[in-house]
Amino acid sequence: MKKILSLICLLMGATTLFAQQLPDVSVENLDGKIVSLRSLVNGKPMIISYWSIACKPCIQELNAINDALEDWRKEADFTVVAVSTDDARLKAAAKNMATSRGWEFTCLFDDKQTLRRAMNVTQTPQAFVVDAEGNIVYSHTGYSPGSEEELFDKILELKKKK
Amino acid sequence: MRFLATILLALVAITPAVAQKKVGNGQVSGSFESTSIGYVNDKRLDAAPEDHFGSNNYMKVDYNNGRFSAGIQANAFLPVLQGYEDLADGYKFYLASKYIQWRDKNYEILVGDIFDQYGNGLIYRSFEDRQLGFNNSIEGVRAGYNFGRYVSLKGMYGRPRLYTEYASSWVRGADLVVSLADICGIQDKATLSLEGSYVNRFQKLTLGDDRDKMIFEAAGLDNPNLNMYSGRLNFGIGGFYLHGEYVHKSKDLNLDAVDGMATNGSAIFGEAGYSHGGFSIVATYRQLKNMATRASLYDDGTGNAINYLPALTRQYTYMLANLNPYQVYALGEMGGQVDVCYSLRSKENRYRYWNFHANFSTFYNTFSKRAMWRDINFDVERQWSKKLKTIFLFSRQEWSKSLGYQGLYASNIFVGDVTYKFDRKKSLRVEVQYLYADRHDGAYDYEGDWVAGLVEFSLAPRWSFFVQDMYNIDETKTNYYSGGFSYTYNRTRVQLSYGRNRAGYICSGGVCRYSPAYTGVNLVLTSSF
Repeated sequence: MKKILSLICLLMGATTLFAQQLPDVSVENLDGKIVSLRSLVNGKPMIISYWSIACKPCIQELNAINDALEDWRKEADFTVVAVSTDDARLKAAAKNMATSRGWEFTCLFDDKQTLRRAMNVTQTPQAFVVDAEGNIVYSHTGYSPGSEEELFDKILELKKKK
Repeated sequence: MRFLATILLALVAITPAVAQKKVGNGQVSGSFESTSIGYVNDKRLDAAPEDHFGSNNYMKVDYNNGRFSAGIQANAFLPVLQGYEDLADGYKFYLASKYIQWRDKNYEILVGDIFDQYGNGLIYRSFEDRQLGFNNSIEGVRAGYNFGRYVSLKGMYGRPRLYTEYASSWVRGADLVVSLADICGIQDKATLSLEGSYVNRFQKLTLGDDRDKMIFEAAGLDNPNLNMYSGRLNFGIGGFYLHGEYVHKSKDLNLDAVDGMATNGSAIFGEAGYSHGGFSIVATYRQLKNMATRASLYDDGTGNAINYLPALTRQYTYMLANLNPYQVYALGEMGGQVDVCYSLRSKENRYRYWNFHANFSTFYNTFSKRAMWRDINFDVERQWSKKLKTIFLFSRQEWSKSLGYQGLYASNIFVGDVTYKFDRKKSLRVEVQYLYADRHDGAYDYEGDWVAGLVEFSLAPRWSFFVQDMYNIDETKTNYYSGGFSYTYNRTRVQLSYGRNRAGYICSGGVCRYSPAYTGVNLVLTSSF
């Protein structure tokens, strides 16, 4: 127990406040092409949402974002990236769902979970808000109906700061 | 006392989670996950562990500075939760992974523990699954080079992790991807690639005792090298795509074989999909012959594997639909699935739509030619308005506990799921489920019928409360009840619940977890920074 506490205290002491940057990791898109997450930074804020087929609240969150997207975009210009963490078992079903649902997102498929590990996503759903320069400015885990509004509030805050 | 100590540890650990960190020109990020259970005795279940407590804790920290990155993960089992394999004394604190990596424009090199996959994972996949206590990362070196967009080549060499230790084997492999679409200049219209992989496992056959030597001799295994080859084709144009993979495996030990003889293995994988507008369909076929590949010939357990052979069936999120999932028969199975989705959205109102989904999967034992699994299912999701959503699901699952030799049991599962949003923050979700088991000659199939229900009230984005129950109304008359709440603050989430849990997925407050059977108090804490 002492060892663990010492390790954690050491980690805490060694750090200071900073905005985390997106990792430079490449994954597959809906067309089967390999794209870098950083290449999606295009001068607009971004919502990145991690999901999987077996995670019902993740799909609820993506549906809720997609439903509200038209209204939200009247107030702010931003993009949405949905990252599926489904492995070889469910990757095809995830692609199937992503194409049929008409999600107006950039869909990425992290079947090797390289991006998930790089962004330290332990549980899904987890959503990030990224500023126009690619810095992570907010993140939340879990989803309850209405949580998506918090993401949009952060996007509006970024717009005000501009 | 230990329960309190764990809570204290968790609280200390989440303190840095409210901020991201900078060290020098780089940055530190990480995550913490803790699951602690206080077990209570329950006459309906197996006896609780002697010390009535288990706690699995994971701390991962990464440092990134430009193209350089490094990281460690420490695991602490205090002691390990019930159901985790290969921890005889239960207590363990160890370094579960570490790495140093340089990632340049066209090349990459990593020294440390490797998590990777070749193709569909049929010959190699190293990954971590904390709920299952699975980590088969390779401790060694990986290097990769990209020749523009045309050719990608990578290779690795190292020893596989076997639970908290390492196997006495060595694994090496290489993976090649040639993008013909880029070479031919048609990459904007289509994807076309030819791919190939090679994996070798080397393990001396003289490391064990006399019994091991006898097993190897009786099986006819005399070569310490196991070789696996994979060839793949990927093609996509417009809304259509096709993936194919063929695998050959040299002679490998398989103690599940009836005669115990070591034999060659093979696998065929094919997948074709098409999508247009709101419609999409994908069909998958897979055939396996002696494909279970251990990291070590001298050990057992689900964590003792270097490849990945998942069940290609629908993954459910409802309790009763997950009671009897299909288990892959790697010695000889053949089958596949078809998955169809269709969505219809109102042009006038984005908050009104239908989502239809149907799936069929079936798998056969290639020795007996008998069916081991069949599942035909569909679900209809209707978003009526901004406030109301309903889901109806039906699934008929035919499954076997005897690899198909003694026929199939059949379960018919009905689920109704209603979500009502009172306002911007408050919502209520109710699930009602019923499982009707087929009868033969008036007798119940397996355990007979089940009912289940869940009520979940959420106060977004922080609080969620739930109660649920699953009850066998025929054979065992056992209640699997639970109730609890979760609190979320940004990237930190705490869930406290109490109940009797059957093995399966538990979903509440936005997160799904796999849990073995137990009765007790469950505290889950996750955070990242």
